[in-house]
Amino acid sequence: MTRGLLTRMPGVAIALVLLIAVFSLANPNFATLSNLQNILIQSTILLLLALPMTLIIMTEGLDLSMGAVLTLASIALAITAIATGSIALAVAAALAVGLGFGLLNGVLVAALDIPPFIATLGTLGIAQGLSLVATDGQSVVGIPRGLQQVYGGAFAGVPIPIIIGVLAFAAFFVLLYRTRFGSYIFALGGNREALKLAGVPDRTVLIATYAVGGAMAGFAALLMTARMNSAHPTAGIGLEFDAIAAVAVGGTSFERGNGWLTGTLLGVLVVGVLRNGLNLMAVPSSAQVAGIGALVIAALLIDGLRSRP
Amino acid sequence: MDRLASMRHNGWNARRCEKPMTVAPESAAQRDAAAPLFELRGISKQFPGVQALDDVSFEIARGEVHMLLGENGAGKSTLMKVLCGAYRADAGELFHNGERAEIATPADARRFGIAVIFQEFTLVPYLDIAQNIFLGREPRSRLPGFVDRKRLYADARRMLAMIGFDIDPRTPVHELGVAQQQLVEIAKALSQDARILVMDEPTAALSDRETERLFAIIAQLKQSGVAIVYISHRLAEVFALGDRITVLRDGRKIASVRPAETSPDDLVRLMVGRAVDRTYAREYTEPGEVLLEVENLASDNGIADIGLTVRAGEIVGLCGLVGSGRTEVARAIFGADRVTAGEIRLMGESIAGSPEDSARRGMALIPENRKQQGLALGRSVGDNIVLASLHRMFPSGIFVPARAGRAAQAGIDQLRIATPSPHRPVSVLSGGNQQKVVVAKWLNAAARVFIFDEPTRGIDVGAKAEMFRLIDQLVQKGAGVLMISSEQTEIVHVCDRAYVMRAGRIVGALARDELTEANIVRLGMHQ
Repeated sequence: MTRGLLTRMPGVAIALVLLIAVFSLANPNFATLSNLQNILIQSTILLLLALPMTLIIMTEGLDLSMGAVLTLASIALAITAIATGSIALAVAAALAVGLGFGLLNGVLVAALDIPPFIATLGTLGIAQGLSLVATDGQSVVGIPRGLQQVYGGAFAGVPIPIIIGVLAFAAFFVLLYRTRFGSYIFALGGNREALKLAGVPDRTVLIATYAVGGAMAGFAALLMTARMNSAHPTAGIGLEFDAIAAVAVGGTSFERGNGWLTGTLLGVLVVGVLRNGLNLMAVPSSAQVAGIGALVIAALLIDGLRSRP
Repeated sequence: MDRLASMRHNGWNARRCEKPMTVAPESAAQRDAAAPLFELRGISKQFPGVQALDDVSFEIARGEVHMLLGENGAGKSTLMKVLCGAYRADAGELFHNGERAEIATPADARRFGIAVIFQEFTLVPYLDIAQNIFLGREPRSRLPGFVDRKRLYADARRMLAMIGFDIDPRTPVHELGVAQQQLVEIAKALSQDARILVMDEPTAALSDRETERLFAIIAQLKQSGVAIVYISHRLAEVFALGDRITVLRDGRKIASVRPAETSPDDLVRLMVGRAVDRTYAREYTEPGEVLLEVENLASDNGIADIGLTVRAGEIVGLCGLVGSGRTEVARAIFGADRVTAGEIRLMGESIAGSPEDSARRGMALIPENRKQQGLALGRSVGDNIVLASLHRMFPSGIFVPARAGRAAQAGIDQLRIATPSPHRPVSVLSGGNQQKVVVAKWLNAAARVFIFDEPTRGIDVGAKAEMFRLIDQLVQKGAGVLMISSEQTEIVHVCDRAYVMRAGRIVGALARDELTEANIVRLGMHQ
């Protein structure tokens, strides 16, 4: 662990330090306490997606449907909350939608052997289409009060999203490095044959990995809905792109089950800092995507150069 | 029947000098504790076109190292895969301590204490040593789903100490060398309480010191009653380690002997002693000028000091065991691998070493894996035939279908490729005909030096004969051929002379009158 940290830290950490330095110089409003706290808060939703995305990518898979599933879960949450007035029921609905799509992805990939790219592209379309059908393309507004507190509130002075982010990271850290399930995720990408020979039901483990991804998309929908106090059928579009970018920038390899959760955390911060900094410099959101794309390629190029003997 | 029963009582020791006998069906009363630890009886296994195993019987006794010997393709791996549950035999029975045993899956084999260490390791690179040893069998913590890490690492330390491997079990496996990974595999096998350990050429990638250490561990395992089946190509090892030696050839058991009863020469004879097969015999013609000349060639793929020549009108064999570097030589000559030293001259001119340059100057490489490397499978026969000569045929860059069609038809006619039309996708052709398409492609590109890497792999006997006629035609017309083959019979009967490789170097050149299977095996083996 420590050796991995030392040898791999530079790539993503250098990127983070450089970005912070550049934006601090470029804009006096960047390096303020409130803005840095903002970055952390705004990065939480991305972190909730990037953590399970790391596990999925470690299995040599991919989940393109996360953003769309988040959108649909958010709509389910809003509609349920308005219809029943119960936040608990609404959250359950969002989690159910997320988990359902996660299981569907897992079954398509693990049981039916559809390549992850295609399978999750398909479910992306389904989830996005259902979102538009359910809302007629309109925002869902009128959610009972109280939900906003999840995003805007604070506990003991610490904004709740930051607490959620820290807890989520800790949970995934324990899951990946301390449980049998975590070891099997390493094995799925690293040597699936070894897992099979060890008598572990590899397909079940793979389905579970995608299910975790879906459930986290459902959970992230809670934060997204609370943030906007409404649900919008395009809210989650492109989030999977940011999540995959964060994982890639963080140094998780798409081969051999080589994943690094701390790298993903730093990758999420890199994406968050970049978006926030570009926002301050009044770069439109559409152009920010180009910046993130360039960053991913640069990071992978540097990693490729460094891993060469 | 009485004789059989009494011999069973005496155990395998008593009948080691007996001639092979036919085994009568066994009744429950005859089962005995002194029966061999494990026994495979009359195992046959057929694959499409190949009888991989034909009525092979094999015994494994407690605390014995049983060497399994044979040429490439003799059936060693297939036999071991039957033992470990990866394949099911078409016929034959398995016995554990004299009782019928069913092994349908790897899990069944594990229950009988059978563990196999294949040449391809079953390790997860980004888990640590302890996690790998206990993958799927992690000690559980009281919290569901969690691993009892204290016990995991303590147990791993114990397993590693048992084989004298002094390393921190927290080391990630991807940081280990091959030898260390092998030790982890052994620890993993022992942690599953393996009573029978199968090792497939375990020293292939080890240094001398690492080999010594492995031998010490094997001796120790033997002491504790573990039976070891050891597949090897190195005769020295066979005599240093083996308590018993079984030789397979062409899927049949040829002999099962004690080291004291045999000699290296005997073993070589047993391994290759097949009836001489003259199917491929061809007429010798005096070779012409030198077409290809290689001096002191080394590449970044592990070959060094390679020197060879190929003349017009001759077929030169390149043989050696799988992994001895034959394909790497072909790739280096053709420019597909980076050449680090030496010189390659094609028709007297030094070549730069890129596939484009080699192809343009008249060299053709027909790779072993033709589906991946030699053919555009989704395209038509005609497209494939003109693929390597587009520059030459259409210098203006504009594709003229009629001209391509004529060239394709010419190739189809010349090599008698069985296809109704040049527009057929090449993927629907048989293996032999696909091979011909690859050759036609290079003929159309005006190649004069052909390197064939395992030209008969995966094609049936009839297609093989045709393939050799084709190669013969090429040299009759003044081409030079370098042919890589794992089948010594082919080399002996098709080639005019041959080079033998071992561990990335050429260890011998066999002239026409020295070219025998025994000589090839003798040179190619690690003595």
